[in-house]
Amino acid sequence: MADSTMTLWQLAANQTAKVFGLAEAMSPEVASRLRQMGFYPGQSIHCLRRSPLQGPLVVQLGDCVYSLDKQVAEGIALHP
Amino acid sequence: MLAEHPSHLQSVKRHIILVGKPNSGKSLLFNQLTGLRQKVANFPGVTVELKSGQMGAFEVVDFPGTYSLSTLSRDEEIAIEKLNEAVNSDVTALLVCVLDATRLERSLVFAMQVQALAKQHGKAVVFVLNMIDEVRRFGHHIDTQALSKALGSPVFALSAKSLEGVHEFKQALPELVERADQLLPEHVSEDEISVIQRSQSLAQEFGIQTDVVLKRQNRIDAFLLNNMLGGVAFLAIMFLLFQSIFTWATPLMDGVEEGIGALASAVTGMIGPGMLTDFLNDAIFGGVGSFLVFVPQIMVLTFIIGVLEDSGYLARAALICHKPLSYFGLSGRSFIPYLSGHACAIPAIFAARTIESPRKRLITMMTIPLMSCSARLPVYALLIAVLIPEKVYFGGLIGLQGAAFFGLYFFGIIMALVVSALLNRFTRDNESLTDMPFILELPTYRLPHWKPLMHRVLNSGKQFIRRAAPVIFMVSLVIWFLGYFPQDQGLQNSYLGQLGHWIEPIFEPMGLDWRYGVAILMSFLAREVFVGALGTLFGIDGAEDNLVGLASQLQQDGLTLGAGIGLLLFYVVALQCVATVATLRGETGRSRIAWGLVLAYGVLAYIIAVTVNTVIG
Ligand SMILES: Nc1nc2c(ncn2[C@@H]2O[C@H](COP(=O)(O)OP(=O)(O)OP(=O)(O)O)[C@@H](O)[C@H]2O)c(=O)[nH]1
Ligand SMILES: [Mg+2]
Repeated sequence: MADSTMTLWQLAANQTAKVFGLAEAMSPEVASRLRQMGFYPGQSIHCLRRSPLQGPLVVQLGDCVYSLDKQVAEGIALHP
Repeated sequence: MLAEHPSHLQSVKRHIILVGKPNSGKSLLFNQLTGLRQKVANFPGVTVELKSGQMGAFEVVDFPGTYSLSTLSRDEEIAIEKLNEAVNSDVTALLVCVLDATRLERSLVFAMQVQALAKQHGKAVVFVLNMIDEVRRFGHHIDTQALSKALGSPVFALSAKSLEGVHEFKQALPELVERADQLLPEHVSEDEISVIQRSQSLAQEFGIQTDVVLKRQNRIDAFLLNNMLGGVAFLAIMFLLFQSIFTWATPLMDGVEEGIGALASAVTGMIGPGMLTDFLNDAIFGGVGSFLVFVPQIMVLTFIIGVLEDSGYLARAALICHKPLSYFGLSGRSFIPYLSGHACAIPAIFAARTIESPRKRLITMMTIPLMSCSARLPVYALLIAVLIPEKVYFGGLIGLQGAAFFGLYFFGIIMALVVSALLNRFTRDNESLTDMPFILELPTYRLPHWKPLMHRVLNSGKQFIRRAAPVIFMVSLVIWFLGYFPQDQGLQNSYLGQLGHWIEPIFEPMGLDWRYGVAILMSFLAREVFVGALGTLFGIDGAEDNLVGLASQLQQDGLTLGAGIGLLLFYVVALQCVATVATLRGETGRSRIAWGLVLAYGVLAYIIAVTVNTVIG
């Protein structure tokens, strides 16, 4: 992926972005699950909050609110 | 197919399968259809096992919720395997896919996959748009006919909570089964991309605007997940939980105690002095009765855990705990099994199935027995009453005894974390490379559903009695006989006394005499036995006023602070529950682990107790 893309982990609180794609290093099972949970290219994603000490972040995606830890969030690329 | 073989129909009840996204209300609907009481709670992934129940001529099967037909965790793997079996089987008459009408898009992704799978096997799917009461509250209306047309399968709007539409659905089911082969949709979406895109456009057309649905939830989260306030709120909720076990339950416990006392004097007054009265006083009212006193506490604990589960807070707690728990090799999802472990380890070990990584799951299961389950409550309550003065501070808000209680629960949690960290450090396996990540959906906040909650509370009391009473009765009986005979020689010279002196050396380093030793050994059957056994033993010893309260007798008898605290900590750590061992063996698949834990926690508990007794004296 191009350098210009950022990952979900870099999304600051109260920021909105669009999902670009999933990291190739991600296992196919996890990737497919994420897509079915709504992490699908073009979907708009809004960061509701960040936790202290690099704890999980909370995002709103479509009709659901999810909490994800760093490991997954780093595998989700966003449109710059 | 099957409809042409009525003889077959009579022998096997045909199945109606309930599937859907996690937390969509399958179990509540199942309960309404069958009259059974399957666990319902407001966080994703409550149901981990298939459960079936009767509804008229059919058998309804409640499935664990899944987001998709591809699997991530072990509970999903099992669920999907079973679902594949079910669609293949001739016994399956119909699939009912439950959708959360307030989260249409996510529900539809799974629904369409089920529809496609079912069609492959010639099975029909009926969609249930659940939570229609909430949709209405938002002032929205879903055109079910148009949605049904778009999906190509029947759609029923209903609310499993307010029961609106449930009756109609129930009545329609037999007819739907009858013409199941005409209900097959013409067009289904097979591939992932079209499923996702179609769900999105249907949700836009029929669903509520997402910002409307999520507004209230996000507002509450802004407070409860706030970096500062959220942490404070979390600690306050946990502290309240443990305080209330003591303060709220006290009046109820006093009531039960008085009731038993009154019953005892009434009964023994009628019979008059003699061996029978001694027996009733010591073994029945002293032994079995002293354990019944603790039933209210168990019910209060169940009530509070129930409120937390139903409100939706548990998922937030899991999120708050994820980072701290990850330092110990655990996941945020370990929080839910840990919390339910405070009621009983067995459902908690089952609940660990939802933990995404196999390794974290195993560590969680192995440390759940360190959570202070309700069977330890009587032991704690008794010994705290003996050792800790009944002082209150801040106008009755915080009691010293309540704080001691909190301390014991806390000690159990700390021990679990330490053991987890050690297990994580000293057992390496290559599984951790494929560990599944942490993704958790935060459900809507809801007011608890009071009626089932009250039912669950009463049931917890009943179950506690039913499980423990027979064992306690038998143990009290045996102890009483061995302690009472040879007659009029005193407890010291009884058969039990003679046996007791033989085991005394083991318990002496703990600062305890043989009477405690007997009670501890008996506790390996079930912990609740401890109080009953002591009640019987002290009853025989001080026949004068054995109903005044076991606690004051132990106090007079001179249990030292060091020995008492050591004993308390012993009960925190030791794994004294045959049923838990069996569950651990089943879930880990290795009996070495289960029995190894009994031994390891037993030795650890003993060392701690001896150390405390030596240090405090
Ligand atoms: N308002 C409302 N709440 C509902 C309705 N149906 C279920 N609930 C609530 O939704 C939550 C989840 O219900 P469950 O029946 O446990 O959901 P489930 O689909 O079995 O969930 P899993 O077993 O985790 O997959 C509970 O808090 C229910 O009380 C409904 O029709 N209306
Ligand atoms: Mg369920």
